[in-house]
Amino acid sequence: MFHRAVRILASFEWSVIWDNRGPLWDGFKSTMKAGVVGIVLAYAIGLALGAVRAHRLPALNQLAATYVELIRNTPILVQIFFLYYGLPVLGIHLETFTVAWLSITIWGGAFMTENFRAGFEAVPNRLREAGYALGFSPLRAFLNVTLPIGGRIALPSTINTAISVLKNTSLLLLIGYPELTYVANNVQSNTFRTFEMFTALAIAYLAIVWTLSALIRFLERRLALPEAL
Amino acid sequence: MIPDWFRPIAEYMLREGLPETLRLAAIALIASVLVGVLLGTLMTLRFGPLRWLIRLYVEVWRGLPILVTILFIYWLPGYDIGPWHVQLNAYMSAALALSLWGSAQVAEATRGAVQSIPKEQHEAAAALGFGWTSRQAFVILPQALRRLLPPMVGLLVNIIQNTTIAFAIGVNEFLQAGTRQFENVTSGLTGQVAPSYAPFAIFGFVALVFFLICFPLTRLAAYLEKRLT
Amino acid sequence: MKRLVVLTLVVGLVVAAAVAATFGSAAPSRGLSPHAKLPPKPKLPALPAAVKARGKWQIGVKCDTPPFGWQDTSGKNRGYDVEVARQFAKWAFGSTSKVDFTCVTTASRIGTLTSGRVDIIISTLTWTADRERTIDFSVPYYNATGRLLVKNDVTVGKLNNWMPGKKIVSTSGSIYDRWTKNCFKNTSFQVVSSPAAGVLAVKNGQADAMMYDDAFLVGVAANDNSLKLSSNIFLKVPWGIGIRKNEADMKRWVDAAVRGMRSRDMFWSILKRTIPRRFWKGFKTNAPSPTIKLQYPRSDPPENNCPS
Repeated sequence: MFHRAVRILASFEWSVIWDNRGPLWDGFKSTMKAGVVGIVLAYAIGLALGAVRAHRLPALNQLAATYVELIRNTPILVQIFFLYYGLPVLGIHLETFTVAWLSITIWGGAFMTENFRAGFEAVPNRLREAGYALGFSPLRAFLNVTLPIGGRIALPSTINTAISVLKNTSLLLLIGYPELTYVANNVQSNTFRTFEMFTALAIAYLAIVWTLSALIRFLERRLALPEAL
Repeated sequence: MIPDWFRPIAEYMLREGLPETLRLAAIALIASVLVGVLLGTLMTLRFGPLRWLIRLYVEVWRGLPILVTILFIYWLPGYDIGPWHVQLNAYMSAALALSLWGSAQVAEATRGAVQSIPKEQHEAAAALGFGWTSRQAFVILPQALRRLLPPMVGLLVNIIQNTTIAFAIGVNEFLQAGTRQFENVTSGLTGQVAPSYAPFAIFGFVALVFFLICFPLTRLAAYLEKRLT
Repeated sequence: MKRLVVLTLVVGLVVAAAVAATFGSAAPSRGLSPHAKLPPKPKLPALPAAVKARGKWQIGVKCDTPPFGWQDTSGKNRGYDVEVARQFAKWAFGSTSKVDFTCVTTASRIGTLTSGRVDIIISTLTWTADRERTIDFSVPYYNATGRLLVKNDVTVGKLNNWMPGKKIVSTSGSIYDRWTKNCFKNTSFQVVSSPAAGVLAVKNGQADAMMYDDAFLVGVAANDNSLKLSSNIFLKVPWGIGIRKNEADMKRWVDAAVRGMRSRDMFWSILKRTIPRRFWKGFKTNAPSPTIKLQYPRSDPPENNCPS
């Protein structure tokens, strides 16, 4: 078994990765393009709707809650197909890249909403009350008290969601978006070099995921709220 | 109430696709829990190399997108073990990929749960004369497993939703069944007719069924979480 | 010595008699309708051992490309390719149910074959010299042409003038994928996951045209009055059944079966069973028959045949 593993490693043809570096790099760029757009917009949605949920704003709260429950309890692939095949029926014709980032944004936004809601709700009440005592309006109290503190509390879980959004970009190959997994799978099916392509993919994804996870651990330590609060 | 064109499609989806989805989820859940709890407990041992190995397993299978794992397992060339040519079919590749991911999640959760048991429990059990193994079996693990219950229900929801990724290698699960009929209807060459809003009906139906399964489970997980604390 | 001479004479007589017998049985059938004289099942070579041991075929077919390979709402595989597969099952094992179907897509079919998951693939596989380096092809079993599906208000004209700057879709790994990337460098090519997705891309304006086999597109255009086929015809290349390399016994059997079906005009019957009546006239010449023999353009590989 060990000999077999050694034999496999020895027969690795790294050249197949180098030879295809052009398409692979393009695929990586596509992954990052859709991923970054999705993450940034998901953060925006999460902040806004998280605040709505935490403050229980009437009507908006129920709408946000429905949005979150719908997205969390249905598979992301179904959401992607629903948008890709459904929107044109409504007369909305979007190019593939748009559907790509839109679908992962909607998915990520729901999870970010819950992340930020938990963060905002974890801010001790007395801090907000202190703000009111100082004459803050509810909005200013939110901006100056809840948001900075709650945002810090929520940071680790939101980065986790961002990691998931990036990983989910791989599913976009099923609507023809030429991201990294699509390119690697293509090369693998033409050259039959499954191991090498998988290694390349693993390195690419794990590098990003592990870096971001390390960032979370670092932030958890650095941004830890002092006990006195 | 169900339109004529939709009825046979819905029946096909529920008859052919849904059982596959549920069976795949069940296998993946059982394998994930068994392997995951084992690995998670082993991770709490003070044996460095073993901990490192299991940590590697966890970080790799959690860090990779499940789609990448599934494609790799499916497209790996078969291996000749003795007289047999071993190669996983689509269904088993999907089950294995989901189990690798699921067991990594469970392992991490188990480690967290075991390590969250206060030291006093270990010390009290030792003082009562429990050896290491019986301490684990009768005192630590039961408490850890109880803390694991909410996240396990959450894991089940995720596994059920992630079975749709098996779509990519042609497993005839629920989403694939719907998509296949959608393709038939779009081409217009199978004698089936459908109105233009067919994508909403078909993919909406897929989403609805998943929602009906996952929403109660999500509520259950939240309820169990509350009961614990 | 004498015994040797006698032995040689006897053997020689036996051989001569056998040869005469075969000549004798062949001679009367010449001049009469070959159709009438043929037994329902042709003489087939030995079935490959693995298939025989299993007692049924494992064949890869399309499940997303009507009318060649699709699944109806009862879960049954149907289509031209599927019927060919069932005929193989009948001739190998006596029953059309002795075959397990595996769904393949354009992108996955060759990999599914070479990885040993199926015995053969009957999946709208166009012959190309490039593919023949990886797999073997049976003798042709269907003829297809490439066409462009466009919206009604589009006029195409000469391909070389119209293609640059346009967005074309087709399935990943198809002959159209190769040909467009080879011959039309200024055309943007996008893959879609299934033929139906390609149709929708054109319908919704996400692509200018879909390039695919006439057999599929003719039906789509006929059923949808917002779409039509342009008059351009290209890549007229037959389909073959995909067989793994170095499986001479499999190729022998499959070729003999295809030839047997062709001489019994079975492909035309299958076409009539799987394609709507109004298309019969247009597709009659696509199916091999006693009077129609299909050949691969070996001397002129299609994917390098860029229009001038």
